Amino acid sequence: MSESSPGVGGLTFDKSRRTRPPELNVFAALVLITVVFEVLGRVLMDNSFLFNTRDNVDAIFNEQRLQIIILQVSIIGIIALGVTQVIILGGIDLSSGSIVGATAMIAMSFAQVAEVNGMPNPKGMFLEQGWVDLPVIIPLLVGLTCGVIAGGINGLLIAYTGIPPFIATLGMMVTARGVAKWWSKGQPISFPTDSYAAIGAGMTPVFIFIFLAVLFHLILKYTVYGKHTYAIGSNEDAARMSGINVARHKVLVYVIAGMLASLAAIVLSAKNLTAQSGMGIMYELDAIAMAVIGGVSLSGGRGSILGTVIGALIFGVIISGFTFLRLDAFYQEMVKGAIIIGAVVLDQWRQRQNGGKA
Amino acid sequence: MKNTLIAVGLTALMSTTAMAETIGVSMARFDDNFLTVLRNGMEDYAKGLDGVDIQVEDATDDVGKQLDQINNFIASGVDAIIVNAVDTSATQAMSAAAEAAGVPLVYVNREPINVNDLPDNQAFVASNEIESGTLKAFEICKNLRAEGKAGGATAYLMMGQLSNQAAVQRTKDVEDVIGMDMCNFITIIDKQTAEWSRDKAQNLMTNWISSGTPFDAVFANNDEMAIGAIQSMKAAGIDMASVQVGGVDATQDALLAMQAGDLDVTVFQDAAGQGSGAVDAALKLARGEAVDQKVYIPFKLVTPANVGDFLSKN
Repeated sequence: MSESSPGVGGLTFDKSRRTRPPELNVFAALVLITVVFEVLGRVLMDNSFLFNTRDNVDAIFNEQRLQIIILQVSIIGIIALGVTQVIILGGIDLSSGSIVGATAMIAMSFAQVAEVNGMPNPKGMFLEQGWVDLPVIIPLLVGLTCGVIAGGINGLLIAYTGIPPFIATLGMMVTARGVAKWWSKGQPISFPTDSYAAIGAGMTPVFIFIFLAVLFHLILKYTVYGKHTYAIGSNEDAARMSGINVARHKVLVYVIAGMLASLAAIVLSAKNLTAQSGMGIMYELDAIAMAVIGGVSLSGGRGSILGTVIGALIFGVIISGFTFLRLDAFYQEMVKGAIIIGAVVLDQWRQRQNGGKA
Repeated sequence: MKNTLIAVGLTALMSTTAMAETIGVSMARFDDNFLTVLRNGMEDYAKGLDGVDIQVEDATDDVGKQLDQINNFIASGVDAIIVNAVDTSATQAMSAAAEAAGVPLVYVNREPINVNDLPDNQAFVASNEIESGTLKAFEICKNLRAEGKAGGATAYLMMGQLSNQAAVQRTKDVEDVIGMDMCNFITIIDKQTAEWSRDKAQNLMTNWISSGTPFDAVFANNDEMAIGAIQSMKAAGIDMASVQVGGVDATQDALLAMQAGDLDVTVFQDAAGQGSGAVDAALKLARGEAVDQKVYIPFKLVTPANVGDFLSKN
């Protein structure tokens, strides 16, 4: 790509209109929220939110807190990476939470051990067939295939039948949840192999999230795939006239979003050592909210993976901060809602300030 | 000729419906571990009975949908309805709808808010929630005493979904036990909801651990949350022998965690027993027989000493 278009991409990009990256505003919000919790902690709890106050630990920061802030959002964060691309494309994906449920059930059923505490696995789905203690690559491939199929159906419906993305993915949301419940008739599936459990153990979910975030940030910024995604989201007709195969590209983006949702399912079930058909309920909305808070425009064409990652961190700080202040979960939800609305209002206002098209 | 055929067909149709008793069941959700055992208990029991048809619907945790399902059952002329309420405070409308249509109604597992003024042909089958939380909390209190912590101990309390009566009752049970002279050495540091979920419990526990306050026990309103708490504590390097963890339900996962030495106390709720009890009550009401309006299936305490007796039950 030429040097005159440094990455944000899209056909409407005009360097003169933007003086600072929008991610900076989101980052400022993250810092502000963190400072508020730190101050409230000092005043109300006589304790620090971020810094270490234990005498027996030699550290500047409260490392456990920093870890949980990102750990508790990294799984939905993985979904949000895909959702971000879908939204930049000008679409929406409501099915990711249900894809998580279905994939977790199906992948976990191929990841079970034969024996627990010396007895046959009481939850074994395929004990009779002998499909237990399988190498980890099998549940991984099975799981990712689920995501590719679900995302592929979403993409094909949207690209070739003209159904609005909202409706197509709404259908998938209901269908995939049905699959999740049908797979084991509602029974949870537990006791995976050690190698499968390792995918979700400790901070591994965070490493997977960060690795994928960096990967997709670079892909969106520097590859043709990224340019086309922004171009279609900014102006689909213009993109089509400039020779982009819009339909094919849409399918590709939805497949990637489906794959990321199914990967999140694998990490989630490995972390919890169980798969339940109710897993992932409302995750799609949290993922969309992370992207929106991170400055991804619901009208398409604008936003970045970096913004979504910061949006996810804002979620994490709020959850941890409220637990730290020992406030009830009700308030968390209220504040989360207010922040989502606030982010969109800010985004609209910023667009008007830039004099750009809304 | 044609009319005779239709008449014969109609009679045949009517006689089959008259012979088979149909029960419509609306479950709060299909994807809950415990409720699935209960649902299977009902279906297996009904299968074993002659001429009992059972139709089970999933309310997907949606109050409005559940009421619609009940009205649909009434409209399709079932002989009795069994409801596992999504929201125990929203049962008034369901009772009223069934009463107006003269269809018997049985609430199962979750105690409806109008349990004390149910119409004559309605009943409630469950275990008495006061037992579950109390049995668990008292056992943990005794264990802490046995460990020599009677001089003062701290604990966290994990609650289920706050719209659910079991969560409210089990939380109150723990608080009541801690209010007793024998157990008032225990202080609750904080109580939060993890919405019955293992993943949310993991995150909540890690957030608590990161505050650095030492604790001796974790009371969880159900086993899934207890397991989530255990997973977080193990990840943080806490020795499970030094913390008392208690749940409720005695699920397979929990019993195996107890065998492994991680979970200390749980309480067995006879899901299948509740299921068959509800079907029994529904059938009796449909036949106009007398039924106790509150049928309680007892809870049983499960500890490492008797865990083997329960392994194949839920």
